[in-house]
Amino acid sequence: MSKDLIGRAVQRRTILKAGLAIGAMQVASPFVVKALAEEPIKIGLDNPLTGTYAAPGKNEQIGCQLAVDQINAKGGILGRKIELLSEDSTSGDAGTAVQKARKLIERDNVDFLVGNVNSALAQAMAQVSNEKGVLHVVPGGHTDGITGIDCKWNVFRVCNTTRMEANAVSDLLFKTYGKKWHFITPDYAFGHTLFQACEADLKKLGGTVTGNELTPLGITDFSAYLIKARAANPDVLVVLVQGNDMVNCLKQIAQFGIEKQIHVAGTQQELEAVEAMPPEARVGVWMFEWYWKQAAGTPGLDQFIAEIRKRSGGKVPTARTWFGYVTIHAYALACEKAKSIEAKAVARALADLELPPDIKLQPNKVYFRGGDHQLMLSAFIGELLQKGDGDPENLFKVNSIVAGDSIAPSVADTGCKMNMPA
Amino acid sequence: MLQLIFFNITNGLIIGAFYALMAIGLSLILNLSGVINFAHGGFLVIGGYLAYTLTPSLGFWGALIVAPFLTALIGFVVERLLIRRLYGRDPLYSLLLTFGLAFIIEDGTRQIWGAQGLPVSIPAVLSSPLSNEFFFITGYRMFMVATVAIVVGLLFVLLRYTRIGVRIRAGTLDLDTVAALGVNVRALRSLNFAVGIFLAGLAGVLAGGQLGLEPTMGDGLLMPSFIAIIVGGVGSLTGTLLGGLLIGVASGVTAVIFPSASEAVVYVMMAVVLLVRPRGLLGEEGMFT
Repeated sequence: MSKDLIGRAVQRRTILKAGLAIGAMQVASPFVVKALAEEPIKIGLDNPLTGTYAAPGKNEQIGCQLAVDQINAKGGILGRKIELLSEDSTSGDAGTAVQKARKLIERDNVDFLVGNVNSALAQAMAQVSNEKGVLHVVPGGHTDGITGIDCKWNVFRVCNTTRMEANAVSDLLFKTYGKKWHFITPDYAFGHTLFQACEADLKKLGGTVTGNELTPLGITDFSAYLIKARAANPDVLVVLVQGNDMVNCLKQIAQFGIEKQIHVAGTQQELEAVEAMPPEARVGVWMFEWYWKQAAGTPGLDQFIAEIRKRSGGKVPTARTWFGYVTIHAYALACEKAKSIEAKAVARALADLELPPDIKLQPNKVYFRGGDHQLMLSAFIGELLQKGDGDPENLFKVNSIVAGDSIAPSVADTGCKMNMPA
Repeated sequence: MLQLIFFNITNGLIIGAFYALMAIGLSLILNLSGVINFAHGGFLVIGGYLAYTLTPSLGFWGALIVAPFLTALIGFVVERLLIRRLYGRDPLYSLLLTFGLAFIIEDGTRQIWGAQGLPVSIPAVLSSPLSNEFFFITGYRMFMVATVAIVVGLLFVLLRYTRIGVRIRAGTLDLDTVAALGVNVRALRSLNFAVGIFLAGLAGVLAGGQLGLEPTMGDGLLMPSFIAIIVGGVGSLTGTLLGGLLIGVASGVTAVIFPSASEAVVYVMMAVVLLVRPRGLLGEEGMFT
């Protein structure tokens, strides 16, 4: 009897619960659907926050975050908010960069991967993103292969290729400074391709290389290399090292007074490095990939500068901040264009995307080239200033702004064979 | 070519003097306390950044003197609070502690002063080369070598002729006996640690003028200093000095002949010393084995 009673009671409760559950499901199901729609689009940033590239890495992050906040303020991408997840890739350890990329893709399920400042790390990350079929933009790693022989359907690049950098300044250096060049080159992927590009340009112009000093990444003392370089008696000392290495190298060049005997110049120069140099080390002809001081009336520029100042302790934006900003906005524009966040659809939309004026923030046309997924961005060519001109933060005098497609090799010459999956 | 090699030997001596300054500080701490101080590069960074912060109010010369003392004070506190607790344990404990400290200092520096490098201006009198021929011998580099020579000279005098110095040297040889004779070994170790960190702080100020400041700057200078100790001989400060100079010259000369080996050559030197004369050039047999 009691058993029977218990049995019945249980049954009733079970039915009651089941009924409640069904009722709840009907009420809850719209919430489930809605929650899915409101789940943010996740963007994984795997970039150096420590080591020799910490400063550019941090600035790319600031640029990304500004774009994320602007897009979210306007309602997100396709009505969904976006969220930026940051990981420290280190400055030179490909193993860590790959591990963080896998973590972002596999555990955090990011829809879009961004990185890396270091070319070698960017290449390693591209292997992972390609294997996982995740859209990947390299904001600031320059070695040619990324949009050249190693190009991939899911990988795009915002910054210049090393060949574009060399082409931007070679003619000018040759004409103004002379034909015997000596190089100081960082001993990894970026440095090797940049040197090859400069050497090829120099040979075409009829000049000679008096030597190439390959220096380990992160070296602090350049004196032994500078002694050798001066002994070779070149017309131009071409400095290809980057980041803190650039600061150390130019600082020692100035201390030794080498810039008074040999012309000092280079390809890529960055505001992060220039700001870290003492005034006497700010010498030579260089190119910036983006520069903040431009003609008045450039659409969106003043607002961009003001927003970045707010987020970086009053500092002006650098090319790195711009890279981060462009990366996220380009992704958002491509998603809206594709009306999807599915990687292949977004890649197709990104492949010929032209940046609108308030994103490109410069005079020339800026667009992704479909054949190699390389952004055609301008080169800002000019000279370093020892003291700020008109503005203490204006440390570079821009002589010309050259359109990216005029210095980029043709798609066929990059060696890229793009295979877009159906 | 001969001139090039001569240049690089001289240049190597200048760099070596700097390594020696770092290495002697490390060596002092290792000898008396048995602590392999991985955070030594971190203290170097602290010294450099403190000098940067103090320069506007004290000037270059004031900062040069005050910053190393402040760094030593921080070192003293760190020894009292953290490192002291691990004496008598396996050296691995203090190695792990200082390894962690090195990371904390690096990230702390980044938090306080920013990831971006900072420029350091040096007085105009020191900033130009002494002659056109020997362009790599600048006033500042000569000043660095002179500072290292004076400080190391003073340190050797301190160790040779003062009561504290004699106790430190005696403690290096046999700490138990020194303690049994009534010397306050705890205080002695704290003081000795602070002196070692003072040298790191001084190296940081000097390096800042030469290279500028950057949170990771200690890393690249730490490894050659360890190698200087091993090559010169653990337990011998003179050996450490010699080791620092030797690896400076070796990497300088290699940079002329075979540039890509200029970093590897110091490790090769270390390997050769360990194989042929494991106690190091001037090390005493049987120490730290």
